[in-house]
Amino acid sequence: MNEAVVEVRGLRKEYRSTLGRRITALDGIDIAVRPGELFGLLGPNGAGKTTTVKILLGLTAPTAGSARIAGLPVSDPESRRSVGYLPEGHKIPNYLTARQTLSIFGRMSGMQSDAIRTRSVELLEKLQLAQWIDVRVKKFSKGMTQRLGLACALLHQPKVLLLDEPTDGVDPVGRREIRDILRDEAKNTGTAVLLNSHLLSEIELTCDRVAVLRAGKVAVEGSVDELTRPTAKYKMVAAPLDDALVAAFRESGAGVERVNGHLELSVENVEHLNALVDKARSSGVMLTELAPLRSTLEDVFVDLVRTAP
Amino acid sequence: MKVLAANIEDVFREAAARWTLIAYFCLSSIFILMFAAAVNLDVVNGALAGAKLFGKEMEVGGSFPIEKIVTGFESGFTGIIYGLCTFLAIFATAHLVPRMQDKGTIDLYLSRPASRLKLLSSRYVAGLLLATSNVAYLILTIWLIVIWKTHVVHMRFLLGGALIVFTIAALLAFTFLIGVITSSTGVSIMTTYALFIFSLPLMAHAKMEAAVSSEWSAWLIRGLYWVLPKTAEIGMAVVAFVSGGAIPEEVQKALAPAPFLSTALFGIGCFALAALAFKRKEF
Repeated sequence: MNEAVVEVRGLRKEYRSTLGRRITALDGIDIAVRPGELFGLLGPNGAGKTTTVKILLGLTAPTAGSARIAGLPVSDPESRRSVGYLPEGHKIPNYLTARQTLSIFGRMSGMQSDAIRTRSVELLEKLQLAQWIDVRVKKFSKGMTQRLGLACALLHQPKVLLLDEPTDGVDPVGRREIRDILRDEAKNTGTAVLLNSHLLSEIELTCDRVAVLRAGKVAVEGSVDELTRPTAKYKMVAAPLDDALVAAFRESGAGVERVNGHLELSVENVEHLNALVDKARSSGVMLTELAPLRSTLEDVFVDLVRTAP
Repeated sequence: MKVLAANIEDVFREAAARWTLIAYFCLSSIFILMFAAAVNLDVVNGALAGAKLFGKEMEVGGSFPIEKIVTGFESGFTGIIYGLCTFLAIFATAHLVPRMQDKGTIDLYLSRPASRLKLLSSRYVAGLLLATSNVAYLILTIWLIVIWKTHVVHMRFLLGGALIVFTIAALLAFTFLIGVITSSTGVSIMTTYALFIFSLPLMAHAKMEAAVSSEWSAWLIRGLYWVLPKTAEIGMAVVAFVSGGAIPEEVQKALAPAPFLSTALFGIGCFALAALAFKRKEF
């Protein structure tokens, strides 16, 4: 297994209020992201997601614990040579053109002018901003600014991409394109992507693995498949679905809910499900769909937040 | 060097896009045009035969050597330029730190592999270059106009610009310190102007010390005098330097190294504090 490029151990961060009261933003979290992995960081507001990212970038110092990027402690500015960052609500100087933006931030990342020129054209074409290369950022729409921000983050071919709400303000087509670019980067260049987003569907579609933070701790961590495992619930689309049939299902001990013209059945096991199907068929019901229901990431997230101590 | 070059480009592009650079050079040009239009000298055989100021004939008693007239003019103008350039420079550069520290902007700068000290220093050098470009424009143009009108080449006037940049450098360090702490352009400008004005009367600190009744007040005045930049002394030193020897002895004293050293220390101290505060600041 590859060594983690983002390594967080026992990370703790306390802030002090103006009255001197201690507020714990992070309470000893552990996270590891490996090369080529798309990792999602989830959590309600104030769970500690932004603080984690800020510590990884050296924007704020941890109270305890350690954080390393590409083997270097985050207190070392050199660690950021391996990082591409897209902050939420970033303000790229609007007096610059796309070309100038990439030139200035590329040089700040230690890139040579020739490499910046080549990579800028390549990235802006990929992000469909090639026509806008010499237009000032103030003329850009929100989605275009977001795509330029992504170009800035990808410019120096980082080993780690830290993205805070990367699809904010981007239309559905643009969102899919950004998702594809992130997948390509992870697959082709082995870039590790740490995605911080409130859009759970976005994380579900993009990430391989997620961690949900709650009150400064990792409440749950695992692959998207593990977290959204099939439940003992099934969707049944059939006709006619009369009250007599529903009553018969309930008599057998199944949980039945009518949802948008179909039934959602909670059963004990597969035999129980088959018994219900037999009952429906013997009553002359025509089945058109029967599928297991998976819990979505949103279900997992909401359950975790609701069961918070 | 790449970080420095990137910051210089960023600062100059911002100054151009926000009209700061244009306003900066327009104001300086107005001053130059006024100077060029106001002064009309009639030079005959290397001596001043007649002079007009704002179109008005001036009395010229006898034939003055033109070099003396030029030195007098230029030293007088240097005093005006000293105040004008310093105020314009602070106004044009005070936003550099507060705007960089804006949420959403600072993340873009700090997520690069450059230390915070390097970032702040590059920003400072870029700001100072912007101010220097204006001082150079103003002084060089006036110097050329004087040569054109009088054929007198007076190098000291050019070098006087270096002393003006020295004061700007010290005050800019203070502006950066306030900018790092408060993240406010307005507060940075106001406090720097206040510092400039407040330190002027401290030149007479000896008289003020003698006038106060308590010992601690005298110590406070003396302490403030030595800690704060010597804006008055340096202003006089600029004039004295450009004039050469043709100035009163009292003013010549201002050319002593102590005011320069203490002002330099003030600037270095302010920048060190700004760097420390910026390094420790959590965003």
